[in-house]
Amino acid sequence: MSRWRRTKTVATFEFLTTVKRRGYLIATFGMPIFIGLYAAVLGLPAYFMAKQASKPSIYGVVDPGGVLRLKEEAAAGSDQIPEELRRALETSGQQDTVARILGNTRSRFRPYASESEARSALVAQTIKGYFVLPPDYLQKGGVEAYGPDAGRLSNDGGRGAFENLLRQHLLAGRVDGTIAARILDPVSGTHRLAVTPKGEVVDGGGASTAVHIILPVAFMILFLLSVLMTSGFLLQGTATEKENKVVDVLLASANPDEVLSGKLLGLGAAGLLQVILWLSLLMVGGIGILPLLLSAHVEVPWTAALLALPLFIASFLFFGSLMMGSGSFGSNMREAQQLAMVWSLTAALPLMMTGPLIQDPHGVVARVLTWVPITSAAVVMLRASMDAAALAWWEAAGAFAVLVASTWLAIRIGARLFRIGLLNSGARPSFKEIIRQARL
Amino acid sequence: MPIVAFERLTKSYGQTPALQGVSFDVEQGEIFGLLGPNGAGKSTLMRILMDIIRPDEGRVLTFGHPRTRDDLDRLGYLPEERGLYTKLTVIDVMTYFGALKGLTRADARRRAVEWLEKIDLPQVVSWRIDRLSKGMSQKVQIAATLMSEPEVCIMDEPTTGLDPVNVRLVYDLLIERRKAGRTTMLSTHQMSQAEVLCDRVALIHRGRLMVYGGVDDVRRRHSRPEVRVRVRGALPAIPETANAVQGAGGEWRIPTEAGGEPADLLRSLIAAGTDVHSFEPLLAPMEDVFLRVVTEAGYEPLA
Repeated sequence: MSRWRRTKTVATFEFLTTVKRRGYLIATFGMPIFIGLYAAVLGLPAYFMAKQASKPSIYGVVDPGGVLRLKEEAAAGSDQIPEELRRALETSGQQDTVARILGNTRSRFRPYASESEARSALVAQTIKGYFVLPPDYLQKGGVEAYGPDAGRLSNDGGRGAFENLLRQHLLAGRVDGTIAARILDPVSGTHRLAVTPKGEVVDGGGASTAVHIILPVAFMILFLLSVLMTSGFLLQGTATEKENKVVDVLLASANPDEVLSGKLLGLGAAGLLQVILWLSLLMVGGIGILPLLLSAHVEVPWTAALLALPLFIASFLFFGSLMMGSGSFGSNMREAQQLAMVWSLTAALPLMMTGPLIQDPHGVVARVLTWVPITSAAVVMLRASMDAAALAWWEAAGAFAVLVASTWLAIRIGARLFRIGLLNSGARPSFKEIIRQARL
Repeated sequence: MPIVAFERLTKSYGQTPALQGVSFDVEQGEIFGLLGPNGAGKSTLMRILMDIIRPDEGRVLTFGHPRTRDDLDRLGYLPEERGLYTKLTVIDVMTYFGALKGLTRADARRRAVEWLEKIDLPQVVSWRIDRLSKGMSQKVQIAATLMSEPEVCIMDEPTTGLDPVNVRLVYDLLIERRKAGRTTMLSTHQMSQAEVLCDRVALIHRGRLMVYGGVDDVRRRHSRPEVRVRVRGALPAIPETANAVQGAGGEWRIPTEAGGEPADLLRSLIAAGTDVHSFEPLLAPMEDVFLRVVTEAGYEPLA
């Protein structure tokens, strides 16, 4: 049987055994459910607050000076918008502004002849508060706002809506429709643009920048998550094989390189499947975000997106083989995890350095870390995402070559350690003994 | 051409020698017994053959050439410390072990079912391993080892812990392999097993090969020259019977002189007018051979 076939046999077995494990199924399908429930718990209060806010709030208006000239209950931007202003807006092609204003009609204003009448209504809780426009309002702009003696932090007490109401009535008949539209709605939309370090103006700006940062950071988080979860399965499997004494049967059929590679491939595939499932759920859940991103003219960092998978796989194999090699010296799961922890921490290193790397993605530190196997995948991703043009092709290719060579070496070293670790069932061998056996 | 040949194998664990220049051959189609006290180096030798550990010196030849990784597909191995994946089903584990030996998954699955029937355990096919008794588990592992029909099968204490009925079952399986021309190399502490089952044996003690050869030949070489005679009446008073010891029912054990042939003794008895009912040259049991060799060399396991 060929080496590849033996590796494939081990990989298939590990993959099928892992994906049928209760722990794997719980993590794979339970995690989105947990996150959904968590979001629901967090979102419920906000939902109820929003629902409460969607009910019309009625405020009183006492206007002895006749500034607003309200004869009956009115809404800011409602169909009771002053007719002459409506016509002016429509004539000047500002239907959108009308629609936007009309959309914001949750606060209604009820006229009262006197402050005492309005106060009685507030005490009787028929209104939420009331505004008094003093006779010198037009000269001084001061307004008295009355509310119940139970302050709410998040509520402006209808002040914003009342200001809109005032604007509409103050503008009506005094300026033309276009000016009125701009005063009522000064910024109707923002088109973001960004200036590159070379002075070029590119479309996108904020949203694009966010995507350019989110992609590599998401890569690092998913990578770390995948390494940690899959390494758990790797170590558990190895510890179980030692405890169950299956090791001799395994090594009598396949050499340590084949066993280690097969385990890495099988469990790596299980880990990748998990990540793909989560990403799919995320995309299905967040499908509504797509049109928003498209309309925001987001520039997708394609170079980084294309590099993501090969870098992910190479880096996973690199860390996985080292974790398995050192973890195999543990006589049980707990010991194995302790021994492999150093690699978990190393894998988290790029994520810890995200801040400085984002500040200067092509600086000396980033350029040096590009060539270090433990950081190269994350740093190349970050640099390619932030500004692909500043990442020379030979840097990307060289870093990938170094990573692949290191992975090959890590698998060789991991396999040697794996053989020694698997066959060692008593006291842990000394460093000198490990070196001696590794040479054989 | 020997199917397996060990050449000057030497292996140490730290300062402790486990094998010291061991060389012997195993022929095709035989059941070869590997004997020796605990810690003699038998398991080390088997693990070196299976390339689980590497020798410090010497080499292993299989099928007429230095052993390669691909040769392992033609070798089966039942280790001393039995191991199965306790959380998996019997069929899944057997299929995996079969696939590791080069069978396709479908073929491995089919053979697993056949072998479970062969070892009288068809009902456990979908059981989880941790549901099996110790004996059942051992039989499943033996079946998993034999189901790929390896040309050479190395079995470390295959019958330990089995009841007599199942020991007989394993014997039958091994004899069946011999009839099919397949080789079995088994390690055992049960000398009666070696006598009944093995064609040839090697006895290792303190990492050295002490005894090697055909079972009868070894027994003969290590036997005291003695015959068992049943006669009517008393033994004649001739020089050859001077040291005879009487047993029950007219049975006598008569040591033959050094270099003397049993046939000469029989002729002397008949010439003296003895009515000889039975005459049997005695071979030392393997257990005596084992005890003598090990005791003379000093019984102190090395590893």
